[in-house]
Amino acid sequence: MADKVKLFVNGQEVEVESGKNLIDAIGAVGIEIPHLCYHPALGADGNCRMCLVGIEDGRPPLVPACKTRAAEGMKVQLDTDKIKKIQRDIMELELINHPIDCPICDQAGECKLQDYYMKYDGQKSRMTVKPVLKAKKMDFGSGVVHDQERCVLCARCVRFTRLITKTGELGIVNRTDYARVNIFPGRPLANRYALNVVDLCPVGAMTSADFRFKQRSWFLTKSKGICRGCSKGCNIFIDHNREKYKDDVIYRFRPRLNEKVNGYFMCDAGRMTYKQENDNRLTVALLDGKETGLNEAVEALRRAVSQAKKIVCVISPNNSLEQMFAIQKFAATCNAAVSGYSDGYVKAGDGDDFLIQDDKSANRASFALLGIDASKVGFDAAVNGADLLISFQNDLTLSLTADSLNALAGNCKLAYLGSNMDACAEKAAIALPVASATEDAGTLVNVDSILQQYAVAVVKNTPAFDMIHVVSQLGGEVKNCFEARAGLTAAVAALKGIDLEQVPGEGLALTVSEVTNVAA
Amino acid sequence: MQVKLLSARFDIPDAHKIEVAKEHGAYATLDKVFAMQPEEVIELVKASGLRGRGGAGFPTGLKWSFLPKNIDKPVYLAVNSDESEPATFKDRYILVRDPHMLIEGIIICCYAIKSQAAYIYIRGEYTTQVKALQAAIDEAYAAGYLGESIAGRDYKLDVTVHRGAGAYVCGEETALLESIEGRKGQPRSKPPFPAVEGLYGCPTIINNVQSIASLPFILANGPDAYKAYGTEKSPGTHLFGISGLVKKPGMYELPLGLPILEVIDKVAGGLRDGRKLKGVIPGGSSTPVLTPEEAQTVTLDYESMAAHKTMFGSGGIVVLDDTVDMVKLVENLIYFYHHESCGQCTPCREGLGWMLKIVKKIIRGEGTTADIDLLTELCDNIEMKTVCVLSAACTMSTRSYLNKFRHEFEAYVSGGASSQTAM
Repeated sequence: MADKVKLFVNGQEVEVESGKNLIDAIGAVGIEIPHLCYHPALGADGNCRMCLVGIEDGRPPLVPACKTRAAEGMKVQLDTDKIKKIQRDIMELELINHPIDCPICDQAGECKLQDYYMKYDGQKSRMTVKPVLKAKKMDFGSGVVHDQERCVLCARCVRFTRLITKTGELGIVNRTDYARVNIFPGRPLANRYALNVVDLCPVGAMTSADFRFKQRSWFLTKSKGICRGCSKGCNIFIDHNREKYKDDVIYRFRPRLNEKVNGYFMCDAGRMTYKQENDNRLTVALLDGKETGLNEAVEALRRAVSQAKKIVCVISPNNSLEQMFAIQKFAATCNAAVSGYSDGYVKAGDGDDFLIQDDKSANRASFALLGIDASKVGFDAAVNGADLLISFQNDLTLSLTADSLNALAGNCKLAYLGSNMDACAEKAAIALPVASATEDAGTLVNVDSILQQYAVAVVKNTPAFDMIHVVSQLGGEVKNCFEARAGLTAAVAALKGIDLEQVPGEGLALTVSEVTNVAA
Repeated sequence: MQVKLLSARFDIPDAHKIEVAKEHGAYATLDKVFAMQPEEVIELVKASGLRGRGGAGFPTGLKWSFLPKNIDKPVYLAVNSDESEPATFKDRYILVRDPHMLIEGIIICCYAIKSQAAYIYIRGEYTTQVKALQAAIDEAYAAGYLGESIAGRDYKLDVTVHRGAGAYVCGEETALLESIEGRKGQPRSKPPFPAVEGLYGCPTIINNVQSIASLPFILANGPDAYKAYGTEKSPGTHLFGISGLVKKPGMYELPLGLPILEVIDKVAGGLRDGRKLKGVIPGGSSTPVLTPEEAQTVTLDYESMAAHKTMFGSGGIVVLDDTVDMVKLVENLIYFYHHESCGQCTPCREGLGWMLKIVKKIIRGEGTTADIDLLTELCDNIEMKTVCVLSAACTMSTRSYLNKFRHEFEAYVSGGASSQTAM
């Protein structure tokens, strides 16, 4: 626990963490100091001047809160007429050359300028001269579109490319009110985290080409989720909306703060994985490629299971811990072999030292917890002589060549439970739709052995059954997620003593010591 | 009235050449300096009462003593030769006519602050000056006054000339450091102050050219000889640049403390015949203007200027007679500071442009009384809300014209085009 200091805000004594700047320290106890340029991940720059606060008996008496550390006995003034006037004056100056085009701006509803105008400014415009005209809809590359007129020159985006990605594509060129955020000619944003500048931008200057003009932010339901783009498990917001007479659709993923996993950021590839939740979905059951009623298809698969001599259940590294457990139990009841073979999900060398991992699946670490073999040797042995292979959302076309998959399909019947009409669903003799990741709840263990959970975020007009339910219809003994969790804590040594219904929001680190502690 | 301490060698032909300069006393103080302890040099400069000649007038010796003791980092000296304040033209004389006086001063200063590297940041437009200065530095290296062992002593000192690229704000000491480091010239937030964390993160002293050039005289003749000139709190002499509507504009070395009107009359030849004094800018464009009545009692020293709510500044005196249109002067003034704002802080970046447009509107005859009031309020709203004092340089001076010559602004508002000047 960090040291505490006592200081006064507007004459009221508060206890805050020492060593932090005033924005963070006082913000932690619920008192807002308005700021545009400061961001905890990018440090203090001190250019917006919105966080100027008074320090009673201080030298100097007026300081930027972002650059001032909380100190014992400090008397911070936020509500004096002088400070309120400064906040109003700075807001006025921020807005004189701003286009105030909120009705057509994507940031509207989550814009600091809007919020601060309502809270700290509220005066009528005194601008009677022509504003500075600047460039609009500039393509900065990587799906980032820049509007210079909306920009407040806080340099968050510039600092992001310098401090976080260290690629430095952005800079502020020129000075005075000719200053503009820009790229070097012919050198667009070219890093795999570029879209974070859209989130970082406190105003509508940085917009995502993908999201632009799709939805007003206040219509979006912002549900919590975990990204499945790779094994990092970045925390995200799933922004979705059911428009009138339409289905619930996801419009974007945004990073959600988790200091232990992804901090404030996520990669662009992960951000775009929302598309597979919307598009190319497997919505109906297929028997030999033909649409069939779900009950009929389930019945067909039950029959196949009961008639088969040797069954192989192929688990996906994207399945949740609960799903894996339910599938394992099901496999045991029908005496099936289990494989987690999924080498195709790993792109060796693709990862970096920040967030992106080689392994493009979300839950491979759970294989180890449940003792699921994912080797090619194990897979080959399992499929040898098998006459029914059920893939649980494992797209085998990623891991096997077309020839070997065709050879496999010639020897045994392929069944597939999945949420997308991917190549494996097309190949399968029986394909059953199940709920996708954002429509289901579950537990994931990431590459750093941090256990995280997600809840149902999206509910479609015609919801697909979740996988555990479909597996139970096939004859599995686990009926739902809760049963699976109860079973998991009882059966898995590393999870003993962990209440899977009460996992903290920032996740649980499954460390060696924790496991041994529990055992003792 | 004129004296010749700093300008002693200015009129000697070829005094910029080392052999001529040495004949007339250059580098003569070094024996004395190296016989002293660095701390003694600092004490001596403190005793002389020398104040920084860049504009702020901070005591030079005191500034040096702010360096942290027992540091394991190198200490740097940065000589501010950005001289960009409008109406200021004193350092350029030193650079061209007596660069060895500056180099000698640098050696003294570096010895006192235990620095082995000095940078001279010179404004980009000073092409003649940079050539003269570099030639002098080359001569000093060749003669053994700079380099591995200075004048045969076990003391190393390198001097590097760094040319600016034409930004007024780089005369601000931390923007100057940023520029030397190769970054965009934008002032840094203080603290940390440069004496603690300056150039390349190391303790750095930044002094004006004239401050450094004053050191050889002080070392050669002692603090009392220096204090014999000027006033008690403003000792010494200053290179005053007198410009504007006088008969003999130019650079004059004068002791501090002289009455400003007397200097204008006797040194600069007085106003043109038949003209009346309308105002005096006492120390560069950023200092608040003085009315003729105020000028009656002002003397050229720091304390008198402060008492009249203006500043000594850089000693660039601009004399304004009754042909000057103060509104257009303010337009020109704001144009300059707007153009030179680094664009970092919101108030300065957005506000100065707004002020400029309002003044232009008033000049076009489209202004209202509310515009004059808004202009006055904007001065308050912008001033001291920024990282550096560039915006204050604009607002303090603009406010003085608005307060003291408001009737001229009102004439524009009520009467359209200018009719209030004698032109």
